[in-house]
Amino acid sequence: MNKPSLIPSYRLDMTGEPCPYPAVATLEAMPNLSHGEILEVVTDCPQSINSIPLDARNHGYEVLDIQQDGPTIRYLIRR
Amino acid sequence: MTWQDFKTHYLVRFWAPLPAVLAAGVLSAYYFGITGTFWAVTGEFTRWGGHLLQLAGYHPETWGYFQLIHLEGTPLTRIDGVMIIGMFAGCLSAALWANNVKLRLPRHRIRIVQALAGGIIAGFGARLAMGCNLAAFFTGIPQFSLHAWFFALATAAGSYFGARFTLLPMFRLPVKLQKIDQAMPLQQDANQARHRFRLGMLIFFAFMAWAVSQSFSAPKLGLAALFGLAFGLLIERAQICFTSAFRDLWITGRSQMAKAIILGMAVSAIGIYSYIQLGAAPKIMWAGPNAVLGGLMFGFGIVLAGGCETGWMYRAVEGQVHFWWVGIGNIIGATLLAVCWDDIAPVVATNFDKVNLLAVFGPQGGLLLTYLMLAMSFGAILLWERRFFASKASARTAPAPNPA
Repeated sequence: MNKPSLIPSYRLDMTGEPCPYPAVATLEAMPNLSHGEILEVVTDCPQSINSIPLDARNHGYEVLDIQQDGPTIRYLIRR
Repeated sequence: MTWQDFKTHYLVRFWAPLPAVLAAGVLSAYYFGITGTFWAVTGEFTRWGGHLLQLAGYHPETWGYFQLIHLEGTPLTRIDGVMIIGMFAGCLSAALWANNVKLRLPRHRIRIVQALAGGIIAGFGARLAMGCNLAAFFTGIPQFSLHAWFFALATAAGSYFGARFTLLPMFRLPVKLQKIDQAMPLQQDANQARHRFRLGMLIFFAFMAWAVSQSFSAPKLGLAALFGLAFGLLIERAQICFTSAFRDLWITGRSQMAKAIILGMAVSAIGIYSYIQLGAAPKIMWAGPNAVLGGLMFGFGIVLAGGCETGWMYRAVEGQVHFWWVGIGNIIGATLLAVCWDDIAPVVATNFDKVNLLAVFGPQGGLLLTYLMLAMSFGAILLWERRFFASKASARTAPAPNPA
């Protein structure tokens, strides 16, 4: 994947928040983006690995990248 | 494959939930065959509450509920006890391998309130129904006990109200969408990751050695501890979450975990059936109002808390402080139920029948009925999912409301 081209326009920092709030906030944030813009979700909720990517796809968004680095997980999602 | 590849693919990355839940289903059937009991945790948490009361000078061993679930011995001499210690060891090893232990502090006081309150409600409800997401659901339905079906349906209903309640504005912290022009740099401390991995390996192999050594003098205890270790690895690595299985059907329409759990029960049920046919006694509980009331409370409580009795275990060792409070709440709730059990039991539980589907419908009939009901549950989830996204799509294409 051509990483440098993935420049997010917005960031949602959900560090410290437990389920279901990171996934819910992600779905609520996405409609605020213009089509083609990318949201970066940063969370340290491990459970989000089973929620955010699936929810984003189910609701019609494109999951571009998932990066797991120790306890922090970053999702790049395109509207 | 190099060691580094193996480590990254199998020990550090999260596991897919479906195979992990299926593995838990198969293992829990073997666990029943070997130990004679089902995979369960809340009964033992209640005994911990009982021991604390004993330390405080009370005599809970004379109460009806503790005579029912037995308070003899210590966690180290009970099958449930060593299994749970194994689960904690497995969760901790798995979390350390992936450098996923971090002190995660709640952002706001309201999270502690909901963790504790939800934990108490869920703990009380679970013990009222004689089980939690395991004994009254994931390992209860494969025992062919009717009470587990009552509990499962009531939990689904309770979780719906829990989901509504948990998304009220009072629980929603303000979230800011920041405008940025580059991604946040992510970098973990490579030294820390290496040390944590080694510590995880040390805990894993030390516990395994202890369990194996136990298995020579007390085979059931040693094997139960090893099963616990495996259950712990599975739930942490795959982030198996029974709460999300129910809750996220209602909130985001996601059904992956719910479907995985139904399939996990399907692979478990036939195994349990075979042991019962060989003469093992199934664990059957009262199919009374206690299972329904307990399920409603449990479903509501786990969603408010954010995790159930197995969910808080792995999240607590990952350092999620929120779930320390859930665990404390669970033990308080379960102990409160034990306190008032003697007054309420005849009304809601003990005067009702313990219904064994294999006895009522015959072995083949009960087995068929169980698979039929599992298939219907799976179908109901598929229908709900379709309806959920169909109504979302029509909401999207509807004309937008005028901006205020």
